[in-house]
Amino acid sequence: MTAAPQPATLRPTDEIEAGHSLWQDAWHRLRKNKMAVLGGIFIILLTIASFVTPLVASDYYKHQNLDLGATPPSHAHWFGTDQLGRDLLARVLYGGCISLSVGIAATVVSVVIGVLYGTISGYIGGRLDVIMMRAVDILYSLPFVMFVILLMVIFGRNIILLFMAIGAVEWLDMARIVRGQVQSLKKQEFIEAALALGLRKRRIILRHMIPNVLGIVIIYSTLIVPSVMLLESFLSFLGFGVQPPMSSWGTLINEGAKSMEECPWLLIFPGLFFSASLFSLNFLGDGLRDALDVRASKD
Amino acid sequence: MSDAFLQLQNVKTHFPVERGIIFRRHIGEVKAVDGVSLSLLQGEILGLVGESGCGKSTLGRTILQLVPPTEGAVILAGKNLAQLKGRALRESRADFQMIFQDPYASLNPRMTVFDTLVEAIRAHKTVPSSELANRVSELMKKVGLSPRFLQKYPHEFSGGQRQRIAIARALAVEPKLIIADEPVSALDVSIQAQIINLLAQLSREMKLTLVFISHDLSVVKHISDRIAVMYVGKIVELGPATDVFEKPLHPYTKALVSAVPIPDPEREKKRLRVILSGDPPSPMNPPGGCAFHPRCACAVAECSRTVPGLDNFNAARQVACIRAKEIN
Repeated sequence: MTAAPQPATLRPTDEIEAGHSLWQDAWHRLRKNKMAVLGGIFIILLTIASFVTPLVASDYYKHQNLDLGATPPSHAHWFGTDQLGRDLLARVLYGGCISLSVGIAATVVSVVIGVLYGTISGYIGGRLDVIMMRAVDILYSLPFVMFVILLMVIFGRNIILLFMAIGAVEWLDMARIVRGQVQSLKKQEFIEAALALGLRKRRIILRHMIPNVLGIVIIYSTLIVPSVMLLESFLSFLGFGVQPPMSSWGTLINEGAKSMEECPWLLIFPGLFFSASLFSLNFLGDGLRDALDVRASKD
Repeated sequence: MSDAFLQLQNVKTHFPVERGIIFRRHIGEVKAVDGVSLSLLQGEILGLVGESGCGKSTLGRTILQLVPPTEGAVILAGKNLAQLKGRALRESRADFQMIFQDPYASLNPRMTVFDTLVEAIRAHKTVPSSELANRVSELMKKVGLSPRFLQKYPHEFSGGQRQRIAIARALAVEPKLIIADEPVSALDVSIQAQIINLLAQLSREMKLTLVFISHDLSVVKHISDRIAVMYVGKIVELGPATDVFEKPLHPYTKALVSAVPIPDPEREKKRLRVILSGDPPSPMNPPGGCAFHPRCACAVAECSRTVPGLDNFNAARQVACIRAKEIN
């Protein structure tokens, strides 16, 4: 036993060593995951293409050429045209814009509601927590496609409402996940240490709680986006979603399926884009989970 | 004692046990801390020992008002902490700090050491930014860490280094009282000694009053001026560290002391052990009379009827056992 504390350093340099934050470490791990990187690149390119197309050629997707009719892919129309002579590439990209917007907007809605709800329920706890979580259980037990359809029937077919309806259903998972995280964080000693320091509640939530919940929120958001897109195309497929002449991948697949035998390209291209983006988002989400949550992946 | 710096008067911390989801029924109480009175001088180091679940951690948290006491007073430098609320309590927290058991859980993994220490420094004082870097470096040196690690994150340190950071954070607010809750039980034995010595040295230099909680008597022996032994929410023996260790008075302390291995094979072979039978009783439903009587070798019929108070055995030592004079 020595009397003086041992200095923990061995090298006598005086430079301040840069640390690696958990975010930086996660970024390094994510970059090593090829599928996640490819998925991310694909999503970025697709997003750019989908959102730029309507800006550059704002009306081209509904430009009809009835003389032309349905043609297979050619030099003039890379993805071919549909029965009304509309360029399929433009319609697929425009549909991507709608599908991605629905996916992102509904995810934002569900993240905001879910994080707030889950944090309050988990942080305050007690009886309020019980009541709030039973409310989630009740909503969870509703057949949610029926719920969305009911909303559409009552309030009419409206894109904004579609965002809201899907978001309002998807936040349940997020609320449960965040609540669980906050509850386990609350018992962590560093939160107790912050209380013992006499920090304000707002600071504890902002500096200590939220940064530690954020990883999980990001992971689940990337996984919510594809499930929302799937739900949107499902609703569009049923005829409750986006209305013509606007297009989303769901409506395009719906139309394509009707004439699948005569003009298969009308089903193949939207289907291909849709599956590819769902795959990419899922790979990206899995990659993020492995990168951010080391415990879940390494052992 | 009138010159006491920290005084506990009959402190009780009971947790209600409830059943039912929305309509809760009160079905009992866990008496985690059940009537503890103590007084400490400024700069004194008290070792608080006991089995797991005996209420020593709860007592530490109660002193710091992290858990509100059900009853009793915690008086620090003339101020009753148990009566403080809200803002007043938050502001007085600069006077008392805690060091936690698990250095892997007690530091925010998303904040650099610098941010953690700055947050602590700024919790109670406004320090100009120009001075911050100096103050933080000073803290790091005080706990034996190089300031060049300041921009690193907790996961880049070893357990012992993290515990030093946790100590630096506790010191940042310049407290007068520190409660260390098993600060070395999560560390390697070789590191334990370093941390214990660091705490002892800091306590001497800064006139810090230190309550050192541990389940390991041999750890506490080295650092403490006095030792308090807890059993099921009550202090059963209190006295100078060497006395308690060399000549324990309470049958429970005797059992504890006899369980400490001696690092000498010859003497270790001859060591007499008092083996306790049974588990410690549930603090929800402790046995009547002396809580220790069902496991005690010296128990008589009277022990199951009378609750022993913590009485003076001699000028320096106190023990809660009705047969203390007979058996010693």
